[in-house]
Amino acid sequence: MKWGDDTYITRREFTKFLGLTSVGFLLGTCLAAIRRWTKQSQLKQQEEFLIGKLEDIPVGGYKLFRYPTENDPCILLRLTREKLVAYNQHCTHLACPVYFRPETAQLVCPCHEGFFSAEDGRVLAGPPKRPLARLTIEVKSGRVWVKPWEDRANES
Amino acid sequence: MSPERHLRQRTSIVLHMVMAFVVMILLAQLWFFTVVLETMETHGKSDTVELAAILCSLMGCGVVWILIRYYMRMEKSQ
Repeated sequence: MKWGDDTYITRREFTKFLGLTSVGFLLGTCLAAIRRWTKQSQLKQQEEFLIGKLEDIPVGGYKLFRYPTENDPCILLRLTREKLVAYNQHCTHLACPVYFRPETAQLVCPCHEGFFSAEDGRVLAGPPKRPLARLTIEVKSGRVWVKPWEDRANES
Repeated sequence: MSPERHLRQRTSIVLHMVMAFVVMILLAQLWFFTVVLETMETHGKSDTVELAAILCSLMGCGVVWILIRYYMRMEKSQ
């Protein structure tokens, strides 16, 4: 048998391949949805999370923490004496961790030069299209807490 | 042109149209997949979008398999 005959794909085989591709897309869509629902239900079960004492974070300083899971690095910024903001540290472009640049009040992604405003997490420059995911924080008795997922969902 | 050849040509055109339609549905399914991925990444709160995407993808898959069966039957008769 010739090599050409051996690797010949019939129209019938090709259409079957298209059909299986269609099933693959359907399964992928279902799996992505299931994964999101699972993660969302996990987040809803989260309790308030203590980041630390307010006095430990200087004005213009920051503190790193992980919330709601160990795979979600976050950054808490103290912009002024009163103003605190917290974001998920994953850049919305390709998920590199952003770092705080206090002199310009920006969060910078070093991988592809993405710049975010430290005030509200919006994109200032670079390839990211979406703002940084913001966490809702609360100061109670000199301690900084992250509010659970459900509360944040109701706020936005 | 003989009637047989004429019929064969027409069948061939229909088959090509079927294939083009299948490819279009596959592209739509790919788009639904990206929509769900986007919702997953941005922690979107709307379940409606996902359910609609899954439903449309399911319908697309069904139509693709119906068209494939039709295609194969047509090809056999050709």
